[in-house]
Amino acid sequence: MFQNKEMKPSELFEQVYETASYTESVLHAHLELFYDEGLKLSKESDRRYIKSESLGLLDGIPIAIKDNINIYGYKTTCSSKMLSNYVSPYDATVISSLKKAGIIFTGKTNLDEFAMGSSTENSAYGPTKNPWNPDYVPGGSSGGSAAVVSAGSAVASLGSDTGGSIRQPASFCGVVGFKPTYGTVSRYGLIAFASSLDQIGPITNTVDDTRIIFNEIQGYDSKDATSITPEYLKLDNKKVKVGILKEFMQEGVSEESQNEVNKVVSLLQEKGHEVTEISLPLTEMALSVYYLIAPAECSANLSRFDGVRFGIREAASTSYEMMNKTRSVGFGEEVKKRILLGTYALSAGYFDEYYGRALKVRSKIISDFKDAFEKVDFILSPTTPTPAFAFGEKTKNPLEMYLSDLCTIPANLAGLPAISIPTGLSKNALPLSVQIMGKPCSDYSVIDFAESIEEMVEFNYSANLLEENNES
Amino acid sequence: MNLKATIGMETHVELDTESKMFCSCEVIESEEPNISVCPTCLGLPGALPVPNKTAIEYIVMLSLGTNCNITNEGMFHRKNYFYPDLPKNYQISQFDFPVGINGSLEIVLDEELHSVEIERVHMEEDTGKSVHEGSGRIDSAISTLLDFNRSGIPLVEVVTKPVISTSKMAVAYIEELRQLVIELGISKGKLEKGNLRFDANISVADENSNELGTKVEIKNMNSLKSLEKAIDYEIMRQSKQVEKGESVIQETRHWDENKQVTISMRTKEGSADYRYFSDPDLPNMIIDQEFIKNSKKKIQNLPTDKRKTLKESGLSLSDSNYLDKGEKWLYDLYLSTVENTKDSKSTFNFLTGELQGQMRKAEIDKLPEWVDSEKLANLINLFETNEVSFTSAKDILAKLLGEDIDPKSYASEKNLIQSSDDEEIRALVTSVVKDNQDIVERLEDPDDKLVGFLVGQVMKSSEIKVNPGTVKEVLLKELFG
Amino acid sequence: MSENFNIDDVSNLASIELSEDEKAKLQKDLQIILEHVEALKNVDIKDEKIDIHPLSKVLELRKDESKESLKHEDAMMNSPETKDGHFVVPPSIE
Ligand SMILES: [Zn+2]
Repeated sequence: MFQNKEMKPSELFEQVYETASYTESVLHAHLELFYDEGLKLSKESDRRYIKSESLGLLDGIPIAIKDNINIYGYKTTCSSKMLSNYVSPYDATVISSLKKAGIIFTGKTNLDEFAMGSSTENSAYGPTKNPWNPDYVPGGSSGGSAAVVSAGSAVASLGSDTGGSIRQPASFCGVVGFKPTYGTVSRYGLIAFASSLDQIGPITNTVDDTRIIFNEIQGYDSKDATSITPEYLKLDNKKVKVGILKEFMQEGVSEESQNEVNKVVSLLQEKGHEVTEISLPLTEMALSVYYLIAPAECSANLSRFDGVRFGIREAASTSYEMMNKTRSVGFGEEVKKRILLGTYALSAGYFDEYYGRALKVRSKIISDFKDAFEKVDFILSPTTPTPAFAFGEKTKNPLEMYLSDLCTIPANLAGLPAISIPTGLSKNALPLSVQIMGKPCSDYSVIDFAESIEEMVEFNYSANLLEENNES
Repeated sequence: MNLKATIGMETHVELDTESKMFCSCEVIESEEPNISVCPTCLGLPGALPVPNKTAIEYIVMLSLGTNCNITNEGMFHRKNYFYPDLPKNYQISQFDFPVGINGSLEIVLDEELHSVEIERVHMEEDTGKSVHEGSGRIDSAISTLLDFNRSGIPLVEVVTKPVISTSKMAVAYIEELRQLVIELGISKGKLEKGNLRFDANISVADENSNELGTKVEIKNMNSLKSLEKAIDYEIMRQSKQVEKGESVIQETRHWDENKQVTISMRTKEGSADYRYFSDPDLPNMIIDQEFIKNSKKKIQNLPTDKRKTLKESGLSLSDSNYLDKGEKWLYDLYLSTVENTKDSKSTFNFLTGELQGQMRKAEIDKLPEWVDSEKLANLINLFETNEVSFTSAKDILAKLLGEDIDPKSYASEKNLIQSSDDEEIRALVTSVVKDNQDIVERLEDPDDKLVGFLVGQVMKSSEIKVNPGTVKEVLLKELFG
Repeated sequence: MSENFNIDDVSNLASIELSEDEKAKLQKDLQIILEHVEALKNVDIKDEKIDIHPLSKVLELRKDESKESLKHEDAMMNSPETKDGHFVVPPSIE
């Protein structure tokens, strides 16, 4: 884009910022915008292009960062009151990588508090709205990151995905969302929700953009002991075997969502790909496994928020009282719920019954996927059981909200790469998507295959909000 | 009813590594707070732990040194409890799969060897340091100051089975463990610096019972002396209760150094449910044969081996143990000196008594370079063979510590060589016997005290240059045939 | 579960003070979730080995080298209360 001098980085930055200036008042997708710093850095990028010293494809590209990833010198709030005043003294590894590539940060995006939620309704700073229809949720927890890409107030964004937190909002907002293989992208500097499930990934307009950003952020990091040295599988995508997961094509998943899969299946079969139905009965247990493992890990991960060294602090006469009160005031309801659930699942006498059992079922799910990938190259399913839902629709019963991650959770449990790409619109004119899961470390193959589907489905819609505002 | 005490020890050893357990912050000793801290050891949001290889190696070495079995596939666990100086409010530790299990440590009590069974050896990370500010009294603090320089320093915890029966045995165990970690080079082993911190689990029960009594944990013993006193106090306290038919409460008690008593601690920690679970930030750790082999290579001389060598040189077990626990240079000096002397016990006595005593008096902690084992052996041999008296030997040693002399030449020069010439001595004895007829007549047997008086008279007439042993021999022959 | 679930014990362990209203709401929600996860009891999990890492990665250890830490000012910049280079909290001994 900048190479052939169609546009200068600073011009693109100004354009994105201008879009933000009218979308933000409706969407509330950014928690903070870095205008001055962004403009300064984009002008430095201008000069690099003039001198033909660009740092690569991403030099000067404005990208938004989910506000649970640390950027030195900026606030990282996790959309929590707890961290309302917290300024990070260090860069996450992905941030260092992107800085080296010359990326400009537009700002930090809204999320469900500590990434716990599926609608961004759990943000202490108010919800983000869906750019396709502000009465609907953008999904979550990376709702802000999906909304900014959909609305054009950033070219791309980074999110984090623990049970679908990149793919589900990407699907609700009609953009591409990718959760890489566990361990391929460093978690150092990502504020942990559930360490064995969390993974950072890109949200973009096109699959190609996903490839470019993933390429920049992936790789071994000595600061993250769970980081791997990936040996990527390269599949020949000309003729592939695709499995349709029976368990996600039945009751519990809307017809609309199922139809998108069927539509893609027809297109694939036309191109001569082999499509078969597969069954992984234990995926029906995935939600239960997830709602024990994730809370258990989070109950300890979030212990460090105690008012001692950073964040807000409530006055009290002893340290213990101070910690109790600070955590009471600093955390929102959903966070408290999950901490308590995890604490209970780990407590003496209940460990084996809950957490221990969940770990073992998870092991079984992992080996079931291993077996399935002996037979097929990719697994195709809807990304979400339904398109975006309205605000307040699922806040009464926790299970209903949790069920919107039904199709995305298994990839986290098994550490698999999974991508969501938009394929069509619902009867309410909201985006619908399919999800492609691949073998561990087949990330680039999953991306390549998704790109071929992207070409077949020709999803050419864009968010209404943008058009309406452009007209006015 | 006769009661017996049962004691189990839990000891934290601070490892002597360059960097901390899970981050690259330097391990420092500094009064300046919070200068060696990073996102990981401060528990900042988003930071992650990466374990230190040398620390793991040290733990394997200590496991081998305590004859433990090594767990080949280990795990790290999170131990959850809220405390302001614990940055993450969980401590990374090991639960189900410690590095070492089922070992033993050989200790010496008087002239007897005992084996203390070790239950487990595992990794832990240290907490930060709390300083309580206020009126100076611990119970009226107005605020607590936190320094995290210590946070994340690698620790190894060594837990014994409940097999220790007395405070003396507990002290001997700690001394042995301390010597082991110093010898292995894995810790500075300084008690006063808190490099070794120990808690004791004590229970008292009927000596005929197979079951242990209720366990009480004693903390806050900062020296071997307080360990000994705290255990003795606690055994006495519990025994009184058991004798009165009262039940002992399972609890944690603090040793109060000022009052010399143990005091019940009412803290949250006592009843804590630590919710141990495997740390998802740290994959399973494989300690394979190669790793164990490399760790083994770094182990040189274990205290038990040293003690064995000393014992083989002819020393008693307690003397061997004394040198084993002492400074390295003294151990080396003893072994090289004893090679050239005849009597190991007198060599030991001379080096640990006379030499160390004079060095202390002269306030030197290092031998002058001219004082080597050869000169010391020569000196020891001089008085051992009665060529010089012990008193002269002491004088020669004092001289030797001040300047480079040859002990034997110096003795001759200063006319300190005792005569062992029988002819000469016989003449002196004959003359003394003649001059002291009244005493000679009162002599009843060779053990009579008056023999000593006569020997003294001979020595006097020779101006103390004859060998008193020879004098006595000749005198007795003269008198009793 | 359920009859054993004591919200006071759990909130105490988690160090989170709860109002009576919060307790009622959370107790109800947690009950729903705990009932849902009961389904796991029907899965045969005998002999299942557990790996911490979903891809069974084995731990790599770090060479014992010290590197530069945080600058003291950066370490303290978020501290709610500071004195003489220390973090300050209300007394931690009762
Ligand atoms: Zn550190």
